Amino acid sequence: MKKIHIENYRVFEHFKLDFRDGLNVLVGDNDSGKTTVLEAVHLALTSRLRGRLIANDISPHLVNQVAAKRYLDAVHAGGNEPPPEIVIDLYLEEREETAFLKGTNNTAMENACGFRVKMGFSQDFSEEYQRLLEKPEEIRLVPTEYYRLEWRSFAGNAVTARSVPISLSYIDASSIRLQSGADRYVEQIINQQLSPAERAELARAYRMLRETFADDDAIQAINTRLSESQDDLTDKELSLSVDVSQKASWESNLVPHLDDLPFQYIGSGDQAALKILIALQQSADRCHVILIEEPENHQSPTSLGILIKKIAERCEDMQVVATTHSSFVLNKLGLDRLILIGPEAGLPITGLPAETLDYFKKLPGYDTLRAVLAKRVILVEGPSDELVVQRAYLDAHDCLPSEDGVSILTCGHSFERFLSITKPLGIPTVVVTDNDGREPQEVRDKYNALGAASVHVGELDGGVTLEPQIVSANEIAALNGLFGTNHAGRDELCAYMTANKTVCALAIFEAANRCTLPAYLVDTVAK
Amino acid sequence: MVVDGARSEPDRRVLVSTYTNDNLQRIARRLSVEDGVIPANVEVMPWMTLLLREGGNPYQSAVFGEPGLIQGVDFDRGTPLYATRGSRRYYLDRSRNVYGDVLSDLACRANEDSGGEVIRRLEAIYDHIYIDEVQDLVGWDLEFLDLLFGSQIGVTVVGDPRQHILFTNRRSKNKKYRGSEIAEWIDERTALCKVETRADSFRCNQHLCDFATGLFPQMEAMQSVENVLSGHDGIFEIAEDEVADYIEQYRPLVLRHNKDSKTLGHAAINIGLAKGSTWDRVLIFPTKPMREYLAHRDPTKLKAPERLYVAVTRARYSAAFVV
Repeated sequence: MKKIHIENYRVFEHFKLDFRDGLNVLVGDNDSGKTTVLEAVHLALTSRLRGRLIANDISPHLVNQVAAKRYLDAVHAGGNEPPPEIVIDLYLEEREETAFLKGTNNTAMENACGFRVKMGFSQDFSEEYQRLLEKPEEIRLVPTEYYRLEWRSFAGNAVTARSVPISLSYIDASSIRLQSGADRYVEQIINQQLSPAERAELARAYRMLRETFADDDAIQAINTRLSESQDDLTDKELSLSVDVSQKASWESNLVPHLDDLPFQYIGSGDQAALKILIALQQSADRCHVILIEEPENHQSPTSLGILIKKIAERCEDMQVVATTHSSFVLNKLGLDRLILIGPEAGLPITGLPAETLDYFKKLPGYDTLRAVLAKRVILVEGPSDELVVQRAYLDAHDCLPSEDGVSILTCGHSFERFLSITKPLGIPTVVVTDNDGREPQEVRDKYNALGAASVHVGELDGGVTLEPQIVSANEIAALNGLFGTNHAGRDELCAYMTANKTVCALAIFEAANRCTLPAYLVDTVAK
Repeated sequence: MVVDGARSEPDRRVLVSTYTNDNLQRIARRLSVEDGVIPANVEVMPWMTLLLREGGNPYQSAVFGEPGLIQGVDFDRGTPLYATRGSRRYYLDRSRNVYGDVLSDLACRANEDSGGEVIRRLEAIYDHIYIDEVQDLVGWDLEFLDLLFGSQIGVTVVGDPRQHILFTNRRSKNKKYRGSEIAEWIDERTALCKVETRADSFRCNQHLCDFATGLFPQMEAMQSVENVLSGHDGIFEIAEDEVADYIEQYRPLVLRHNKDSKTLGHAAINIGLAKGSTWDRVLIFPTKPMREYLAHRDPTKLKAPERLYVAVTRARYSAAFVV
């Protein structure tokens, strides 16, 4: 897959995303449309949504709300705005097996290989629709009952499931649906993993199994007795046998076992992991695309680590698109694989230094996702800085920074690494740091050059770190009152605070009375 | 020949096409003789489908300025009389189906307007294209065939100019090549392709070959390869009151010109529909010009020798006329 263009589908009015080869990690806030992207890919390659053919299931809720409102407003005002069309154009790489999908039948009229799903008003219903328009005030929803699905290649030809040269696995670990026998996803994944010869062998062995059942001596004896003990209601012979009809294929009766435990009895975490692993083990002779919804679901940190390692290993010869809410998953899979889902486009991260990438792979505990998803980031050195800046923000804005989409991140001395993530994504990032005895202008110049939106450093005469800066800004009595201490001089108070950094920061954070915070911190959170 | 050719290239991607569905099914059956299914590298597609799927559809936006318009083919109606070539209403009916008679025109137009993308796309998909019964192609079909001839794709066309009865369309383009003149069209392209003339018949005996030769004096005389005889061989004329007994005795395929022809109540099929099939014997209810020909054997008076040719050459041994 090269890229996808989406029009009027769910949260997206217009949306574009370029896929990378191998691994793609989609991140975004809730409702930003991560799942919608996976759904759109699935629709373009299968014309199915959650296992059902979309052709029979086009509902008004699939139509983007902005487009729907524009249409409804226009219709209510007596206009003749056409009902909005949902279009998904999925572009594929040009290869021998995709050549027949080439053409310019996509919205951009670009000469490329790909699939196009279009759900729009069907001319067949013009008459009904005209009648509907006679009472426009009664139109409350987009009239999708008059819509028709077109699933075509960019060559303009209708597509059948068999003509799709890509095998697709969709793994939604967050919702595991159990049915009799093998889970439908497992069934699908196993079916795709088997070669045609293996599938034929499996079907043959299963048929043999059913036939030998009927030949079993015990079964024959039972059947003989059944036919003898029959009453006179019917002349027909009654016997027991295994259902050999089409529906009774192996999929509904054979169950994958893990350590001899039937699949539906193993834990959700293992089920999810197993599905991902089976999907990843497919042979490389076909083009594979694997869509994974939040692989972190149901996984303990340990097993998640193993799972993520496998995903990262295998996606060299297949394309994986995963969504996640976990910084751990993101860091482990590689920050360079990140695609941030915005309202109109998927934004890739570019120019990430190899050192940064490697650092967060090795130390995946850093909350990089909070940086990526924030409207504004404030980088601080340690937990005490974080607490004090939060308090400063609360004093200035009457709410906590997180409520405004501002992330305060403790990053030790990794300012530079975090800046290399937020800068290419265009997220304004503020650095708050101690002067540590350096000239404040020197420190400001350093981080400004790395792309910081602003840099806040205490003046040298206020002290080299946070604690002396706070002491300088306040009366001794006020701080003693806050900490419940009785220190005589500023040096003594400073020593106490430095030795009990977090306790003091927490006291400041929770204090009923404001203490005076150093000017550079107040500047940091200024409106 | 088409079947053998297609089967001889297991490593290449082959497309086989022809105008009639009947003939296509015969080819498909013969292609699947060995495995029960058509080999995976061979695709079989009717000519009109080829023109739509691989010709008109992929680059329709170059002609119409809009993607995804075409829905299918309108086989019932022709393009409106006064529509300008190249316009939307010239190609598409109100349901956005392409008029069948301008399908090949559209394929050529799409290739032209897209700067040759239609052919480039086909070059990426197929290594060799076989077209059977090429004499059925007329008008813009021949222009599209010319485009294929000029491509990287290997193209083999097979046909019998004497059998030209059906046309894919009735537009005036290339009118002079219509009918047996397809041989002339091919002759003009000897620089592009190798032309092999076969005047051999694997089906008919020499009596029938001689009759067929008489219909097309400008072409090479036909030779029977096997010349098998059955005891009742060649051309016969029978009276109407002998028909019932003749049918009883020889069980011939009964042929007529069309559904309006009188057949004395006997079941018969149209000559055009018998194309491509083989029978031991045929019994023909001739048209007036055919009867004239039987009497005087003057081919210059015969406007449509193709039909008579097709009727007689369905048989291995004998052809009888009801006179």
